[in-house]
Amino acid sequence: MKSNKVVSLLKDLGLLLYAMFALFPLVWLVIISFKHDREMFNTTFIFSPTLDNYRVLFSSGEFIGYFVDNLIVSVGAIILSIVVGVPAAYALARFDFKGKESIAFTFLSFRFAPEILVVLPIFLIYQKIGLYDTYFGLIWIFQVVSLPLMIWILRGYFEDISVEMEHAARLDGYSWWQVFIKMIIPLIKPGLVASSLLSFIFVWNNFTFSLLLAGQKVTTTTVAMLKYVSSDTVHYGQMAAAVLISSLPIIILALAIQKHLVRGLSMGAVKG
Amino acid sequence: MANVRVEGIKKSFKKETVLSDISFEVKDKEFFVIFGPAGAGKTTLLNIIAGIYVPDEGHVYLNNKCIDHVEPEDRNVAMVFEDYALYPHLTVFDNIASPLRSPRYKQPEEVVKREVTRVAEILKIDWLLDRNPSELSNGQRQRVGLGRALIRSPEVFLMDEPITHLDAKLRHQMRAELKDMQRNLDTTTIYVTHDYLEALSLADRIAVINKGKIEQIGTPEEIYYKPANEFVASAFGEPEINIFNAEVVKENTELKLSIFGRKKIKIPKNIQKLVAEKEISIVRVGIRPKDIKYGFIQKNENCIIGKVYSFEPLGAKAILTVQVHNQLVQLLVPSDSEIQLNQEIFIEIDMEKTIFFDSVGNNLLASYSNVERKGVAWQN
Repeated sequence: MKSNKVVSLLKDLGLLLYAMFALFPLVWLVIISFKHDREMFNTTFIFSPTLDNYRVLFSSGEFIGYFVDNLIVSVGAIILSIVVGVPAAYALARFDFKGKESIAFTFLSFRFAPEILVVLPIFLIYQKIGLYDTYFGLIWIFQVVSLPLMIWILRGYFEDISVEMEHAARLDGYSWWQVFIKMIIPLIKPGLVASSLLSFIFVWNNFTFSLLLAGQKVTTTTVAMLKYVSSDTVHYGQMAAAVLISSLPIIILALAIQKHLVRGLSMGAVKG
Repeated sequence: MANVRVEGIKKSFKKETVLSDISFEVKDKEFFVIFGPAGAGKTTLLNIIAGIYVPDEGHVYLNNKCIDHVEPEDRNVAMVFEDYALYPHLTVFDNIASPLRSPRYKQPEEVVKREVTRVAEILKIDWLLDRNPSELSNGQRQRVGLGRALIRSPEVFLMDEPITHLDAKLRHQMRAELKDMQRNLDTTTIYVTHDYLEALSLADRIAVINKGKIEQIGTPEEIYYKPANEFVASAFGEPEINIFNAEVVKENTELKLSIFGRKKIKIPKNIQKLVAEKEISIVRVGIRPKDIKYGFIQKNENCIIGKVYSFEPLGAKAILTVQVHNQLVQLLVPSDSEIQLNQEIFIEIDMEKTIFFDSVGNNLLASYSNVERKGVAWQN
């Protein structure tokens, strides 16, 4: 009995250590966001907290602009992926056509290449066709990040829904569109929520594309962080505050729909 | 209130022909059973009538109007699916109510409530209305599926093995109820099954299909007593009909059949005439297990000697398999018969009840002969 207690104690200790390891950067971030620049390097946990960093952040309204930019391109990319991805996933799950698997694989392969590898040609193309530094340009490139995930998660959901159920609904007097809205969408909802949220996180945090394909008129928060690195000093405090604020939406979203997220990724649409 | 007609239906999936040249007509208020083994194309045929599949060739008529280009939701047919096809995210109540809430067949909410309650009571699932389909047994799910169809008053009911997944007792009960229901509803019903008992007991008429082709269409009596060919004969009845080769031999002026190598047996006059006319030398004799008598002594010259091969009691009845000259003959006997294995036994074939096939398996008498309607009681 005694050894059991020791083992469980050790387990708890291990988990505690891991939690500290995982959470410490976040805690550190919160701490320095409340530190004044002059206390940045000579204090660790004991300092006189200040809201100066946040004050600077919101005083010019600039940061809010970046935040809104980020929101526009992320939400835009997700909406575009939903509009394109749901029908695409449905088609891949339901219809039998030539080259189906190749097309599905092509979607997935968008995620294989490192972003830095493709960004240069895209940069040149964007310059040519005038998409550089526009909302639509970023939305367009971000849906390449979010679409494959959405298609592959939703395809599984659609495959789990029996074709007979759709037929039954048709015979019950619903047209194809009504069947889709009333019967199918509710069944894929967990998957839709989970994949949307995941893609949202990926897109929201994207740095490479935002940096190289935009940056003047359209600036996302991730790129904006660089602005706190000035020629003579790095404003760590302001940077930390900015990072904290820009990760808030994701933290809030993830907490709010955590239940759906776990269930949506781990389970099919139709159980039992 | 509708008749359904299909004409020259052909359908193939990826070069594999599923249905070829299917034509039949279902009369108004008829209970029409489509019977066939697994993979015969029964469900595909039903789906074509429902409008879910489009046939490669052929037409479907409802009330003599071609409905080839009518969408499923506008055909006003109700269907029960073999694997239930319930809406997993809706409760039993909402599942059954779904047709009455659809844009096409919309009813006011109080009518929906009343109708769902009524149908649920008939199907004895009124205590399950708040559950989800995942919390039901298969039998209950099947009844929800039935309820979803019965709540409407469609032109045609299409039922795809609606009671196959029920347990034996419930199936028996539902079979009777379905027949009752159909009589009360007075609606044309097309019913797909692979269970010959269901087919015989429910149908006004049966279409037997095999490998995408219609083998025979007829009343249960016709199908059972005058099967068009060996396939139909062996599909109906358990144990299967015994079929063996027989040689036509001439003895004096009479034609007789020589079965099992030597025994010469008299055959009815009309068969003699037919055999003589067509100059057939070999016929195939089909005899149902219940139409063979047995005894331990040779009663008359028609008795054939054999050896008991196996004896399987199945409740009140037993299947007795007798080996006669390397061939096995099955008999249906009372299970209290005292029979030992390897015992010598005499069997007597009732030639009046025999079905004669030609060498490729078609019924010789199919074109004529009128079998009198016998008291039809299908044995379980």
